[in-house]
Parts: sequence; C-alpha cells; structure tokens
Amino acid sequence: MPRFFSNKRLILLLVGVIVLVALISFSLKDRRNATIPEQIVKDVVGFGQSLFSKPAHYITGTIEKIDGILNTYEENKQLKARLQEYASNQAELADVKAENKRLKELIGKTDDMRAYDPIQATVISRNPDQWEEKVIVDRGSKSGVQLDMAVTTAKGLVGKVVNVTTSTSTIELLSTENRNFRVAAVIPGETSVFGLIEGYDPDRRELIMKRIDSSFEVKVGMKVESSGLGGIFPKGLYIGEVTEVSTDDYGLTKLAYIRPAADFSMLDHVMIAKRKTETYKGTDTESSTEEQGDDES
Amino acid sequence: MSRFILPLLAVCLFFLEPVFSLFSPIDISGMEFTLVPRFVIIYLIFLAVYYNQKRAILLGLVLGLLYDMYHIDIIGVYTFLYPLVCYLGALLIRQVHRHIVTVMFLSVVLIVLLELLSYFFASLIALTSISMEEFIIRRLVPTMIANAIFIGMFGWLFKKLMTGRGLQKQAGS
Repeated sequence: MPRFFSNKRLILLLVGVIVLVALISFSLKDRRNATIPEQIVKDVVGFGQSLFSKPAHYITGTIEKIDGILNTYEENKQLKARLQEYASNQAELADVKAENKRLKELIGKTDDMRAYDPIQATVISRNPDQWEEKVIVDRGSKSGVQLDMAVTTAKGLVGKVVNVTTSTSTIELLSTENRNFRVAAVIPGETSVFGLIEGYDPDRRELIMKRIDSSFEVKVGMKVESSGLGGIFPKGLYIGEVTEVSTDDYGLTKLAYIRPAADFSMLDHVMIAKRKTETYKGTDTESSTEEQGDDES
Repeated sequence: MSRFILPLLAVCLFFLEPVFSLFSPIDISGMEFTLVPRFVIIYLIFLAVYYNQKRAILLGLVLGLLYDMYHIDIIGVYTFLYPLVCYLGALLIRQVHRHIVTVMFLSVVLIVLLELLSYFFASLIALTSISMEEFIIRRLVPTMIANAIFIGMFGWLFKKLMTGRGLQKQAGS
C-alpha cells in the first residue's frame, strides 16, 4: 500500500480525472445559464476576441468591396432593368401599409407581433471545434439581449440566442443538430400553413419543417417565415423556401424541406430581434418540456 | 519583457483560432468541408518539445480552461485534452531524434489524435450524429491538411523563437 501512495503521478492523474468528470457533468446539466465565473471569463475573453475579430472583418470587408467594384458594370445593367418595377412596388407597398394602419385603428388593435427593435451586433467568433453551430456576438444583456431572441441577417433568420452575459451573447445557428431547437413557422398564403422547424439535414443542407396538418396543401417554392406564435420570435422573419414535401414517419402529418435563405458560413453582422409585444415562453424556447418539469418541482 | 513573449504568442493564437473558423465550413463542388484551426495545440506541442514540458502543460491547462468556458460551455474537455497532448508530445519526442521534420510530423499525428478524441467525446454526449466515415472525409482530412500548412509555415519560426529563448534563459541563470 505505501508503495502505491508514493506514486504521486498516479494519484494526481486519478484526482484530475475525477475532478474533470465532475466538472463535465456539472456543466452539462445547465448550459443555458452561465455561472458568475463563466460570465466574467466570457466578458473578458470576448473583449480580447473583438480586438482580433474586428480588424479581420475589416480586411474581409475590403476584399468584398474590391470584388464588388469589379462586378459593377454587370450589376448596374441588371439593377437598372429592375428599377422601374421597384418604383411601382414601392408605391403599392406604401398604399397597402397606410390601409393596413387605418384598418388596425378601426378595430382598435395596437399590438403587432411583427414589430421589433433590432439590436445590431458583430460576430466576434465562431466555435472553433465546430461540433456545435455556435457564434458569439459582441452585444449582451447591457444592450438588452435576452435568452431565446431571434437572430437574423439581411437575408433571413439565422438562429437564436442561447446564452447571455453582460457584453457578449452566444447564438445557436439554425443549422444545428440539436433536436430541442424549434422555431414556430408559417407558410403564408390564402390559408396560412403552420408548422415547426425542427432539425437540419446536413447532407441536403436544408431545414426540416414538421407537424404540418396533412389537410393543407404545401407546394414547392412556397416561402416560409416565423409565425410569432412560439412566444418570443417576432412574426414575419423570412426563413426560406420549400424544396420538397413528404409525409412524416407515421404518415399523420406532412413534412417539408426548406432551403434556408441565410448563409451560415462567413457571418459578420447580425441583428438580434427584440419583440415589442409581450413575450411568453413557448416552442421557441429550448426543451420547453424540461422546463415545465422544473417549474412543478 | 522577453519572458512574456512565449505565453503572449499562445494567447494571440488562441484569439486567432475563432477568427479563422469564421471561414469554415468551406464549400468545394457541393461538398462541405469543416476546417478546425488547431493553432494553439501546435504551438504548445512545439513548446513542450523545444522549451519546457511543464510550462507547456501548465499553459495548456489554462488555455484549455478558457477555451472550454468561452466556446464550448462544457468545462473539462479541452482542459484535459490540451495538457494530455502536450505530455504525449514530450514523451514521444524522447524516443526519436529531435529534428524539425520529425517534430512537424509528430504535431500532425497528435492533431489527428486530438480530433479523434474530440469526435468520440462529441458523439458520446450526442453533440453530433455523423458517422466515422463521414467524420474522416469531411473533417479529419481537411483539418489535417490545413493545420499541416500552418505547421509548414510557422514551425521554423516557433523553433527558432523557442530555442533562442531557451539559450537566453540558460545564459541568464
């Protein structure tokens, strides 16, 4: 026995492994709310990170600009052709908006799920070991970011906030393999088709929209946007386009593959959407069933 | 001042890693390849081989902990893997001649080992569901090539810096 204990290295290794397993299981239990030391580390490292990321974005931005200048002539021709169309659309939109406002006043509806305050943020890092699709941005609770808020780019929805500290927040992208990542979606039309975006097919690189009532007609090419019914996301954030429709495993509901409009690689500037109407915890929140269980106990 | 250069360079590489991963995944003819920058661990392996094994392990522990807290949100994964890889690097280099080419080769082998371990961990806690085959084609091989390029570009510099620093220390003491 004394010989065993004299082996300092072995003891050190054993204690190390036990501590690590304890730490891993501790941090796996509650990954959504960072503890205070974690928050401090995230804020400090995030500050250092932004010193490195912002020049990098500047350089890629300049390269993109040069690239843009090279294509100017072609683009200009195309844009001129579309300009007239745009002007008439603009006039129509203004007309429709005014009418919409008047009608809303008529029925006394003031809340609008479409309305949101955008919080502009810069992506400072992407999780380098890319097992999880996460990026970190330089805005946190100080700027009004809260858990589960929707994150978009100019092209469309990219993800939602999963972790917030004072001056950084972590965003999980739509292209995640996490099954608890749900977004309440809708295909607008004569009759709106509701469903849930649940899961991502990495081979096809498309999102999967599930739980669509089988009586609804869904066609390839239809546009999909967030429905706002989940409780936290605003309504009308563009998600993508339907590419294929089939039935789910049990044949009870329909399932649609959706090509996301946003590009998940090379993210630089994103917008966090803070809904103006009251928010509720719902399907847009992660693992809602678990949280219900916690509330009861 | 010069005593801070080696840790400072490690911290710089730590901050550069996520900047480079912003470019990943890259798309070549419809196939998506994931490149994982492993600059810090390459640097630490060189540090363990050319400078001081204990320093490298300690630095690995600190940077691994920061990496876990900032990026992964699971504390303990890289906190364990970084020092382990440094230790293995120092252990293996004693068996062979300490030539720059062998050290470069060793770092590539150790990166493959690190990738494999992180894949096993990720599939253990169900962060990923990709098969072994897919992992090798989509992730391991591109990562290996990208990091081998990095080693080829900066390996000489690291060696020069560290042996220079080692000599300085000996002269000073």
